[in-house]
Amino acid sequence: MTKLAGCIILSLAWLPAAHAHMLNMTEIQIAADTTANATVTVRIDLGQSGLMTPESYWDAVSGADLPQKNEVLNRALEALESKIEVVVDGGLRDLKLRDYQIKAVSLEAIENPLTPQMTEVRFALTGAMPTSESIIAIRLKDTLDVPWPCLVRVDYFAALPISRLLTEEARSSGEIRLDGSRAEPGADFLISAVLKLQAWLPSLTWLMVGVQHIIPMGSDHMVFILGLFFLSTKLASLLLQVTAFTLAHSVTLALTTLGYIAAPAHFVEPLIAASILYVAIDNLYSRKVAKWRLLVVTGFGLLHGMGFASALSELALPEDSMLSALMFFNLGVEIGQIAVLFIAYVVFGWLQNWPLYRQRVAEPASMTIAGIGLYWLIKRLA
Amino acid sequence: MLIKRGLAIVMVATGIFAMEVAMSVIMKGDLLFPSNAAAPGQFPEQWIHGSKSAMDNTDPAVQVHRYNEHTYILRENKAINYEGAFMYVFFGNGVALLIDQGSTSSPALFPLREVVDELIANWEEEFDQSSTHLIVANSHLHGDHYAAWNQFVDRENTTMVGLTHEEMMHYWGFSNYPDERLEFDLGGRKFVITGTPGHQSSEIALYDEWTDLLYTGDMFYRGRLYLEDWDAWAASIKRLRAMADDYPVSYLINNHIEMTKTPMVDYPIGTTWQPNEPPMQMSLEMLDEAVKATEVINQAGIYKYPDFLIYNEVPWAYTTDP
Repeated sequence: MTKLAGCIILSLAWLPAAHAHMLNMTEIQIAADTTANATVTVRIDLGQSGLMTPESYWDAVSGADLPQKNEVLNRALEALESKIEVVVDGGLRDLKLRDYQIKAVSLEAIENPLTPQMTEVRFALTGAMPTSESIIAIRLKDTLDVPWPCLVRVDYFAALPISRLLTEEARSSGEIRLDGSRAEPGADFLISAVLKLQAWLPSLTWLMVGVQHIIPMGSDHMVFILGLFFLSTKLASLLLQVTAFTLAHSVTLALTTLGYIAAPAHFVEPLIAASILYVAIDNLYSRKVAKWRLLVVTGFGLLHGMGFASALSELALPEDSMLSALMFFNLGVEIGQIAVLFIAYVVFGWLQNWPLYRQRVAEPASMTIAGIGLYWLIKRLA
Repeated sequence: MLIKRGLAIVMVATGIFAMEVAMSVIMKGDLLFPSNAAAPGQFPEQWIHGSKSAMDNTDPAVQVHRYNEHTYILRENKAINYEGAFMYVFFGNGVALLIDQGSTSSPALFPLREVVDELIANWEEEFDQSSTHLIVANSHLHGDHYAAWNQFVDRENTTMVGLTHEEMMHYWGFSNYPDERLEFDLGGRKFVITGTPGHQSSEIALYDEWTDLLYTGDMFYRGRLYLEDWDAWAASIKRLRAMADDYPVSYLINNHIEMTKTPMVDYPIGTTWQPNEPPMQMSLEMLDEAVKATEVINQAGIYKYPDFLIYNEVPWAYTTDP
C-alpha cells in the first residue's frame, strides 16, 4: 500500500497544476451515464474541507497503517452523501456512493490551500432517471463545509451544459430545467404568469403581436382608421367600411405570408401613405359615404394587408402552427383597430351631433391626417 | 377653399418634418466607436495595492478606474483577496460587457454587483442611455475570476454566459477553438476574439478595435504565468502576436500584478501589500519576449524574465517563494 501511494505521489509531482489559479473550489457535476442512471460527481479538496484534517487525509492517501484511517475517510464520504441534496421534480433523492479516487502529493501540499489536492467521489442518484422535462435543484446543507465556491454543472438533455455557482451565502442552485430552458431571471410574478400562459397558449402571443402592430407600432394603420372615422358619423357606415378593410387585409396578409404573392416594401409602403392622403382628402369633399368609396377602402385593405405581412415576416412564424399563428395575429390586428375606433368614439363621439362638428372637428382632423399622409408619402418615396 | 385646404395639408406635413428634424437634433445619436484611431485612455499612476495590515484596510472593496468614458477597469482590494484580480466593464450602445467577477463570493465583503450596477447607472445618466443589457462573461474558468458570478444570476436584463467550456464556446460562437478569430459587436463597438488556452483550457483574448487594447487575461500578465499546457500556451502567445501584426495595439491589459518593479522579482504568493508593483498594462516588446521564450523553452520548469515568470507545468507546491 505504501508503495502504491509512493507511485501516486511521484506521478503527481510534476503533473500540470490543473487548478492553477486556485481557489481549491468544489465542483459537483450531475450527468446521465450509459446505464440509464444519473451520476453525481464531486471534486473536493477534502483536506481543506472541514470533513477531514490534512493529517487524516494524508493518512488515507499514504496508507499509513492506522486503524482509524478508513474510518475518518468513510465519515467524510458519508457526510457528502447525506449533505449534498439533489431534488428532482420536488422530491429529495438519495445519493449512493459508487467509487472515489483520492490523491495527494504530500502532507505539506494538503495543508496549503494554494495547492489543492482534490478527491473525486462519484455517487449514483437513486430513483427513476430524471426526464428532459424535469426540474432539479442542488443544495448543500448548512452543516456541510466545503471549500467555496462550489461550481454545479449539469449535463443532461440540453445541448449545452448548465452551470450554477453555490456560495456559502447561497447554498442552493435554485431550479434547473433539464431541457436547458431558462426561467427569466428576476421576472416578477405577473411576467412569469404571462409566460406560463403563453407557454400553454402560444396563440395568445401572436394575438398580442397583432395588437402591437396597430398600437403602438402601426401608426400608419391607426391614422388610416381614424381617416375612416372622420367621414362617417353613422356607426353602421363606419363598421361597413372597417369590415371591408379588415376582410381585404386579411386576404393579402395570408396570401403574402404563405408565399402566394410577393409585395416589395418600397412599393407597398408609399402606397399605404397615399391611401391615407386619399381617404383624408376624400373626407373633405364628400358629404356622405359614396358606394364606390367602399370599393376603394377594400382596395386599400389589400395594400395594408401586404404591409402587415412584411412586418410579420420579420418575426419567425412557427412552422408547425403557422396558420393558427397567422389567424391570431390577424385577430390581434382587429382588436387593435377596434381599440383605436373605441378611443376615437370616446374622444369625439359626443361631438358628432354638434352642427359645427364637420367644420370644427372632422375637417381640421382630416386635414391633419392628410398632412401626415403627405409627409409619409414624400418620406417613403424619397 | 381648395388652396386654403391644400396649404393647411402642406403645412401639417412641413410641421411634422420640422418636428422630426428638431427631435433628431435634440436626441443624441448613437455612441460612435470608430476603429481608425485608438481612442485614448489613462491608467492610474498606481493601483490601490493593499495595505500592511489587511485588517486595517480602509480602501474600497472594488477600485473602479475610468480608462476612458466607455471603458472601466475594476480591481478587487488585495486586503479582501490577495489575488487583487482586475475586472473589466466595456460599454457599447445599449449593452455592457463585464469580464470576470473576482475572487470573493460574499456580497458583504465584495459587493461587485452593487458596484457594477452603480457604474452602469452613472454611465447611462452621463450618456443618455437606458435599459443597458449586461453580459456577464469570463476570460477563463478559474474560480478566482468568477467567485462573485452568483451575485448577478437574478439580475434582470442580463446574459450569464456560463461557467463551463461548452457554454463559453457557444456564446462567443467558436466552432474551431482556439484557432479562429471571431468578430463581436458590443452595441457598435467591435471586438475581435480568439482562443488563448495554455494557462487554462477555455481562455479567450479580446481585442477592442476602438481603444486598441488587447486583453490577455491570465495567460499573459506581469507575474507567474502558470501553464498547464505548454504547447497550447506557446501557440496562444503566437496567436496574440499575429493579432498584434494585423491590428494596432495600444496596450496589453490583463488580470493580475504579481511582479515587483525589480526585474525578475515577484511578490510571494498571498502578498496583500504590494507598494512596489509595476503598472498592470504591458507592451508589445514584452509579448515579443514571450514569443522568444516559446522558441527556447522545451521542458517543465521555472523560467525568469524581467517582466514575467514562466512556470511551465510546475505544480503550485513547487514555487520559488520563500
